[in-house]
Amino acid sequence: MISEGKIAEKSMDMIEININKDVLVVGAGFAGLDSAAKIAAQGYKVVFACKDAELPDSGDEFKKFVESGMVEIMTNTSLDDFSGVTGDFRATLAKGNERIKKNFGAVVAAPKYSFEPLNADYGVSLNGKVISQTRMEEILADPEEKEKLKAGDGAVFAFFNGLARELDPCSTERALRSILALQDIENCTAYMYAGNVKVASRGVERLFTEARNKGLVCFKPQEIPVVEQNDDYVKIIIQDPVIRKDIELDPDYLVIDELMNPGQENIETAVNLRIDADLDGFLPSNNVHRFPVNSNRDGIFVAYSPNDAANVALRVKELLGDGIKKVPMDRGVVDEKRCTICLTCYRCCPHGAIFWDNGAAVISTVACQGCGICASECPMDAIQIGTFSDDDLNENIDKAVVSAENDSPKILAFCCKNSAFEAAGAAEKFGIAMPAGFKMIKVPCAGKVDVELVMRALVDGADGVMVAACHEGNCKAEKGNIYAKWRVNEISRRLEAMGMDKNKVIFTNIASNMAHEFADKVNDFALKLKS
Amino acid sequence: MSNKTGTVMVVGGGIAGLTAAWELTRQNIHVELVEKSCFLGGHSIGFTCKASDKCQQCGACSVEEMLASVVNEPLINVHLRTEVKNLEKTDTFKVSLEKSSVQVEDGKVIKGFSVHNSPLYVAGKDCADDDLPSGAVKIDDMGSTAEIEVDAVVVATGFSPFDPNIKSTYGYGKWKNLITGMELENILRENTFAVRPSDGKIPEKIAFIQCVGSRDERLGNLWCSQVCCAYAMRMAGAIKYKDSNADISIFYIDIQNTGKEFPVFYEKIKSDVRFVRTIPVDIYPLENDRLTLRHMVEENGTPDFEEFDLVVLSVGIMPNEDTDKISKVFNIALNEDGFLDDNAAGTSGVFVAGTASGPQGIADTIASSGRTVYETMKYLGVIK
Repeated sequence: MISEGKIAEKSMDMIEININKDVLVVGAGFAGLDSAAKIAAQGYKVVFACKDAELPDSGDEFKKFVESGMVEIMTNTSLDDFSGVTGDFRATLAKGNERIKKNFGAVVAAPKYSFEPLNADYGVSLNGKVISQTRMEEILADPEEKEKLKAGDGAVFAFFNGLARELDPCSTERALRSILALQDIENCTAYMYAGNVKVASRGVERLFTEARNKGLVCFKPQEIPVVEQNDDYVKIIIQDPVIRKDIELDPDYLVIDELMNPGQENIETAVNLRIDADLDGFLPSNNVHRFPVNSNRDGIFVAYSPNDAANVALRVKELLGDGIKKVPMDRGVVDEKRCTICLTCYRCCPHGAIFWDNGAAVISTVACQGCGICASECPMDAIQIGTFSDDDLNENIDKAVVSAENDSPKILAFCCKNSAFEAAGAAEKFGIAMPAGFKMIKVPCAGKVDVELVMRALVDGADGVMVAACHEGNCKAEKGNIYAKWRVNEISRRLEAMGMDKNKVIFTNIASNMAHEFADKVNDFALKLKS
Repeated sequence: MSNKTGTVMVVGGGIAGLTAAWELTRQNIHVELVEKSCFLGGHSIGFTCKASDKCQQCGACSVEEMLASVVNEPLINVHLRTEVKNLEKTDTFKVSLEKSSVQVEDGKVIKGFSVHNSPLYVAGKDCADDDLPSGAVKIDDMGSTAEIEVDAVVVATGFSPFDPNIKSTYGYGKWKNLITGMELENILRENTFAVRPSDGKIPEKIAFIQCVGSRDERLGNLWCSQVCCAYAMRMAGAIKYKDSNADISIFYIDIQNTGKEFPVFYEKIKSDVRFVRTIPVDIYPLENDRLTLRHMVEENGTPDFEEFDLVVLSVGIMPNEDTDKISKVFNIALNEDGFLDDNAAGTSGVFVAGTASGPQGIADTIASSGRTVYETMKYLGVIK
């Protein structure tokens, strides 16, 4: 019954497009060299550009590709300008005063990040006794300094870990590895003051147990410890809640934990490549559809870890193939006569798929994902989405409203194909009861639903209209759901101004796997419309 | 999708196996996907969306999407209710498949969690044909006994959840409103709201007990399961969002991160949920199927009793209960925690993906399965 209102996605005319097969890897982060080597192994030429003057030890595999010319290294180089679209990115690389223009089919961002000691959180400064975790590792790696620890009567080390803020298993592992190394040195003892001990990484709980079995005492104070410090003295004071007494320790060294800091390079990379970062400043945005290495722009990938490097190599191979890409001809099409190059589409496109040429906006058929946000936002109505044109949608709205049962409220739901459409289809197949007057219209993204489409459904005679989108932060088009929400609010405002019931139109979020919840929402809406 | 470059058998149809299968087909590799149970999707296909109005990045919808992609991919041949009986390595691998021993209770019909499960319904013996939902398949009609030849093998046999009966002082199985985190996932997916198994009513006071089976030196389980803090906090947040009256406590040792942007997530959840830093000792039944927990009060070290309407055990990720058999059939050594050793694989042409090699969440499983595929392609010579 529900299916009557669906739009069958038209089979699209496909065209073959030649795309550039070279790849730019930008940034000497941990996964940069690894990504470059793995991409070169697939037979693609790589330019590896980083700001550093020298590369870290890059391994034999990488060197082999450099020697064969598959990887070109550009040190002291930054990305000066970046434009173009997937398959045809145009980069200007700056090396000193030189400006080198190169084109690429795909880009891998592997920005560096740093470790920042959190001594300021504890009101202490680093000196000979209060040291960073990095300094601790340097001491342990230096035979002479390590020997000094052995020479005396031994030393007491206190480690702070995640007391002032939430850290990560990497920081715990670093502390534990240092502690275990110290425990192997005669007369050295270690204490740990921890917030949440982060053990959610392979092997870390085992290290923690091993360290405790070797004598590590771990305190988990409820408050941040008080630290007294001068040049040759440091004292840590915590309150033990059970014995209600202060516990004092004056260690020889206080080792301060470090935070992974994305720093400036991550943000610069995000801005240059027009990709999103998360709230902490790491790439990409916190969106499950970016798992594990995608960004909001097809053809621009992100790598921080060895797993990422392998996934990047797979994605690059899938995208570039043998340099010929088959793509739908009319995913998004601009009517040149109507376009005034106001750049609204350029700004709102989450995929960086729009550029301009010859006095009109152009949508890249390779980069466009067909979400339709641009089509809805275009003030000139100059953009149509191939499989979801306004004519097709209008026709389907008319048909759906006419075919809906009269004795139950006629509800028309605009359903994002990624979430609500899936959930609704499942509700139907599972036989979950829904109002007889319920019909749905499949849309490529809730961001395609504009005021005109909703108004048309109401004018046609729908009693209620629902715009059902993915949850905030889960939109494949990043902000399509947010545009949809704004527009529904705008429609409600207009209905109210016209003296109509503003609750005839609602916005809701639903996940693709939640059939029962979707049915609940529709049934609730039907009840409200009836009353 | 022509010019096929090889055939790989993927064993296990959970998120690791689905991801591996899908990624292999992206590289034009044909896949024989073997799943022991009657449904693809593994544990995670039964997981609920844990969003408020905002996505909480649990990844449950990614599993749904991956399943949809796999079942619509012509390069993947699915063998449900099937196990690998024997694997013989020559230049390639000769594989004997057999029907698995998975059963459906006589006269019962079970249903897959996802609309993309095909069949959606599986019937036990003695089900009258007329009573069956459309498209239902009888259990005895399921399963492959084929002999196939493949170029490489990806073992993605996943985990078994910790059996809470081992922690006998909690009384799992005896008290109706004492459930596991996985059971709550399924309840939320099917009911939208948290409901008590005893009466179907919405519980007001809910407790989550963390580290049930994980981080337990006495049991020799020296690992963090990596997913339980995340699922407990996310489900607690989702319940609270839908029912602001819910009074939720999480009993824990150390709270683990959920993924990106954890500090922001944690601050928010701390305002919705009470965190108690202790693990309850035991659980007693009360009237009306309520439960009381006995635990130490962190502030003064004295014991306390507290009552709840629903108690959720955050059971951890354990090696698959069939690990010994899997280890033998595929000739993969075990690591010190008893999971399959993914370092040992490689040159042999047998690779390990996902939680079969140790605990990881959905996001990490997707990432590591991609890496496994990369290694497999390298073995196949698809890349240098």
